[in-house]
Amino acid sequence: MTQLLIGQLLNGLIVGTLYGIIALGVTLTFGITGIVNFALGEFMMIGAYSAWYLADVVGLPYPVALLPAVAIAGLCGLAADQLLFRFTRDNLVNGLLVSIGLISIIESGALLSWTATPKEMDYVLSGTVRLAGIGLPKMRLVVFALLAAVIFLTYVGLMRTWLGRAAYAYAQNPEAARLMGVRTGLLQSGVFVYSTALAGLGGALYATLYSLEPFMGGLYVLKGVEAAILGGIGSLSGALVGGLILGVTESIGAIFLPTAFRDAYGLIFVVAILVLRPGGLFGEGR
Amino acid sequence: MSRWIAAIAVGLWLVAGGGASAQETVKLGQIEAQTGPNAIYGWMSSQGVPIAVDEINKAGGFQVGGKTYKLQLIAPDTRGDPKEATVQLKRLLEEEKVKFVFGPFLSNVFATIEPYAAQFDGKILMMGGATRIHEFLGKPGHDFLVRAWNWDVGPSGFGELMTDRVKQQGTKKIAILFQNDQGGKVIGDIYTDLFQKKGIEYQIEYFEPGTKDFSAVLAKLSAWNPDYLFPGYSDSAISDIVRQATEGNYFKRFFLVRGSLGPGLKNKDELDDYLVYVPKYFEQAEKTEPKVAKFVAAYKTFYKRDFPYDQAPLCSSACYDHVYMLVEAMKKAGTVDDVEAIRKALLSMTYDGLWKISFDAHAEQIMNFDIVHLKHGGAIEVTPVDPPR
Repeated sequence: MTQLLIGQLLNGLIVGTLYGIIALGVTLTFGITGIVNFALGEFMMIGAYSAWYLADVVGLPYPVALLPAVAIAGLCGLAADQLLFRFTRDNLVNGLLVSIGLISIIESGALLSWTATPKEMDYVLSGTVRLAGIGLPKMRLVVFALLAAVIFLTYVGLMRTWLGRAAYAYAQNPEAARLMGVRTGLLQSGVFVYSTALAGLGGALYATLYSLEPFMGGLYVLKGVEAAILGGIGSLSGALVGGLILGVTESIGAIFLPTAFRDAYGLIFVVAILVLRPGGLFGEGR
Repeated sequence: MSRWIAAIAVGLWLVAGGGASAQETVKLGQIEAQTGPNAIYGWMSSQGVPIAVDEINKAGGFQVGGKTYKLQLIAPDTRGDPKEATVQLKRLLEEEKVKFVFGPFLSNVFATIEPYAAQFDGKILMMGGATRIHEFLGKPGHDFLVRAWNWDVGPSGFGELMTDRVKQQGTKKIAILFQNDQGGKVIGDIYTDLFQKKGIEYQIEYFEPGTKDFSAVLAKLSAWNPDYLFPGYSDSAISDIVRQATEGNYFKRFFLVRGSLGPGLKNKDELDDYLVYVPKYFEQAEKTEPKVAKFVAAYKTFYKRDFPYDQAPLCSSACYDHVYMLVEAMKKAGTVDDVEAIRKALLSMTYDGLWKISFDAHAEQIMNFDIVHLKHGGAIEVTPVDPPR
């Protein structure tokens, strides 16, 4: 039983980083542009299908396919920002409506291009690493390490670079940041595109573990938003921790309770945390 | 002048086909998932029916009561969505006046359309492979149903034979992992009863449709140390399950009665056993059965692409053979309109096509099938079975 619990704890952490990367995108976008981009899951789907197409159809080695896949998701994010979201800055409702509309458009495009029949990528890295009798697939560990590294580097980038500090300044007081010379339009677009590229990276890595469907983004954006709320909107470390908590709760919960309701376990946890701390774990108390 | 106008009008009518009264059209409808996560149930049927329709039409159609008829197929894609399927069926029956419907193969689709379709009892014939059709067969008001796939239980049931086979492998405990929906619940009920009857212990878990990460439930089930994992029921889920089960060393032995050989072949180097019910193992049958070889060639010519060997076995339900069977039944009944007479003729025949197909007293299909045993590395052992009829 202990082995099972530890195994699922580790697995929950791995799955949680996938939720965490989306949560990071949600929290960054909300902090800088004032909108909750529910279409982030679609950018994840774009990244996933791009990676699959470049690796399995075009025949590029996966590590080579990864970067263009992220770039494609980022470019789609840039187009979405310039054509749509630029006009909804700091307007939560309009941003929400546009992002919901965008979900339909991107999903329909994916349906037309690849149909709803799942695509499965060939093994990128097979085999298992055994740690104290617990088997962990190598590719899952790679995905975990890459996502954790990107989340950490994003955190460091925001803390240590001028751009990061500008973003923080803008999130705290847009007017003051503008007066201090921060080019706010560019900053907002940059953060938006970065968030979509992060989602694209999550998708490209997701493709190495699971089969792909045009509707795959819906579940992950919900988990991402849950994780962001759980961690506290606006908190970068909160996004990661929120994702990890969700992943672990689902994995451990599925051991003791029926698996059919697995998605509900994380949600129950979110509700419980929000009752005690309405601002989320790392957010403001109120 | 008026004579000229009349002559031109008659000429135009003849050109438009009005004079070809000896050749008419019988409309066939099909409601299957051609795309979507559960498209494995429907895609191959939607591929096979157009080939048969094309062959019959190119051969000049068929004769019934001195008239020559051609077939017209209307086959929308339900994507496995019951709401979509309901709208499409309504259009087929009310606007297109279709009397012969192929499909559905999916139980969730059938459960949704059944109350509507039942209003047309006696006026239509619906040939589908859905598991849930079984419970309506022989019930009042459901003569419109013909189940176009083998049933699991009973003397002709493939499930009984498959369970015997897995028991021969020394199985004492089996873990079941099914989708939490109509199809999953029905199959779950069937097989938990069967395992109980055969003295095999089981543990069952359900997962939500759309689940991608199965590692937690696989770990939970494997902790019970079962001999086999019995996953279901569509390839989209089975692919993820088999991959994660082998990757995580949770399971190496698999038993399937729904789903294809595909997920096993993709993970052949990681697994030990993959025991699967396959209506026909086409790779082998193509070499030994001329009708199968002809169908494979026809497919390649018609679609101008490779033959889908992994999907082809599901052409056993409301597919290529069934179009020919329906036409034979119309000829035998001497009508293309009297649905009751056509049904009677259909149920009385034993058709020898890609499969040897007959029906039991309740309008359920009995057909020959294969048990395929895939072993580590890709070695395959095929056992053909012709169940008692």
